[in-house]
Amino acid sequence: MANNNDKIICRCEDITESEVIEAIGKGATTADEVKRLTRAGMGHCQGRTCRRLINQLLASKLGQSPEDQKPVTQRSPLQPVALKILADS
Amino acid sequence: MANNSDIIIIGGGIIGAATGYYLSRAGCRVRLIEKGYLCSGSTGRCIGGIRQQFTSEGSIKLMLESVGHFSNMKEELGIDVHWHPGGYLFLAHSQEKKEAFLSNISIQQSFGLKDVRWVDAYEAKQVAPGLDAQGLLGGSYCPSDGQAYPFAVVSGYVERIKSYGGSINTFTEVAAILQGGGRVRGVRTAAGAEYQADVVVNAAGPWARDIGQMAGIEVPVEPERHEALITEGVDYLNIPMLVDYRADGGYFQQFRHNGQFIGCYSPVPNVPGHSTDSSYQFLNQMPRRMLKLVPALAPVKVIRQWAGSYENTPDGNPILDRTPLEGFFVAAGMCGHGFMLGPAMGRLAADLILNHGKVPPVAEFALERDYSRQEAMK
Ligand SMILES: Cc1cc2nc3c(=O)[nH]c(=O)nc-3n(C[C@H](O)[C@H](O)[C@H](O)COP(=O)(O)OP(=O)(O)OC[C@H]3O[C@@H](n4cnc5c(N)ncnc54)[C@H](O)[C@@H]3O)c2cc1C
Ligand code: FES
Repeated sequence: MANNNDKIICRCEDITESEVIEAIGKGATTADEVKRLTRAGMGHCQGRTCRRLINQLLASKLGQSPEDQKPVTQRSPLQPVALKILADS
Repeated sequence: MANNSDIIIIGGGIIGAATGYYLSRAGCRVRLIEKGYLCSGSTGRCIGGIRQQFTSEGSIKLMLESVGHFSNMKEELGIDVHWHPGGYLFLAHSQEKKEAFLSNISIQQSFGLKDVRWVDAYEAKQVAPGLDAQGLLGGSYCPSDGQAYPFAVVSGYVERIKSYGGSINTFTEVAAILQGGGRVRGVRTAAGAEYQADVVVNAAGPWARDIGQMAGIEVPVEPERHEALITEGVDYLNIPMLVDYRADGGYFQQFRHNGQFIGCYSPVPNVPGHSTDSSYQFLNQMPRRMLKLVPALAPVKVIRQWAGSYENTPDGNPILDRTPLEGFFVAAGMCGHGFMLGPAMGRLAADLILNHGKVPPVAEFALERDYSRQEAMK
């Protein structure tokens, strides 16, 4: 788990590099699987900050080339919006 | 690597994972085959609610058992699945609903669900702080109902299957069921690989009918689209899962572990098919329905919406049975309750498979049954 040298990969969900590597060790081969195992990418920014870092880790651990990597499913709303604003829209 | 195992399970959702866990624990060599990633079907799209308030003996007793498994999972699987008994409150805004709930409560109590009770509007507000009780007569409240985190539960089961020596094939689609000598022999994948096994379990959720057809067996499960949304995390408000069955109602709860609100509703008319598209209409309607019940949530921000499938049977009850093809079993059609049913259903499926021919299947989950008696608390 987290140690002092561990880098934070997903700031929104507070997920470290070693947690992502652990998920890859459990068999995750895509950013979608890493997201579901660790929550990295499920936070407030919806992965805008951490997705690139996760893909880099997958690439370096599994020898994937960036072209092989499947894009993560994008879900709306792309910016967090208050319930009240949505209800009145 | 040897391509044979004792048992092949088709489907990497909660039902396949739980069934695989109980079979592995009993000493079987299991291979779990999933066409996408684990939880890519309905399980990863559900809202994590767990309740025991049903109206049939089979479902109530299974759910009593499931809640026992959920509350023990941290010890059993060595992973925090975020089980939290936050309760479920079904709201009655009409005399008719009130009477139906009162009668359900006495059925539920008679089958062993002791803590379910009727609460009037005043008490409803006490168990659900912030609830707008306008027009409310009361509700059916069960404090031992709760919530857990689906990805953690499936991951916990799958890690156990692996540690018992089982195999997991993700991104592997089953394309054919192999038969020979009057019984099932294994499966063939879309990529052409063959895996042998004496037992094959159809745990393909919304796709159970397609898998059945590969063996020439009719499994009456229909997918139906259900949308959901989730908010940012905020302070925990100690509100149980609220269920409002009115045409413009919905269900939502707050996760104890991170404060996010998650919710969905059943659209009228329903939306049949495998579509997992999201709609703007939902993104407008769901917040309205939430704010109607708990107005104080107005500033809480939605961060994501998605959709998944309910896997409906004609009567709203699951299918768990052997089939006319020797060695081929079906555990599917959980009708939108598969996550909560999963642990007990997996245990029961394993029992049925291991004691094949010795114990009779549960009549109300039989593949060939009278599908006309409806589960009332769908
Ligand atoms: C919006 C929403 C909210 C919900 N809320 C709740 C809730 O609060 N509580 C609750 O208990 N339930 C809830 N549900 C229902 C619950 O998600 C399902 O009942 C449950 O996940 C079904 O589990 P399963 O394992 O049977 O199916 P799935 O999770 O769908 O698993 C079946 C798997 O089979 C795989 N598969 C299909 N065909 C093939 C093939 N040919 N080869 C290999 N693999 C294949 C699929 O990819 C899939 O992953 C909700 C559902 C939705 C959509
Ligand atoms: S940094 Fe990972 S979701 Fe925002």
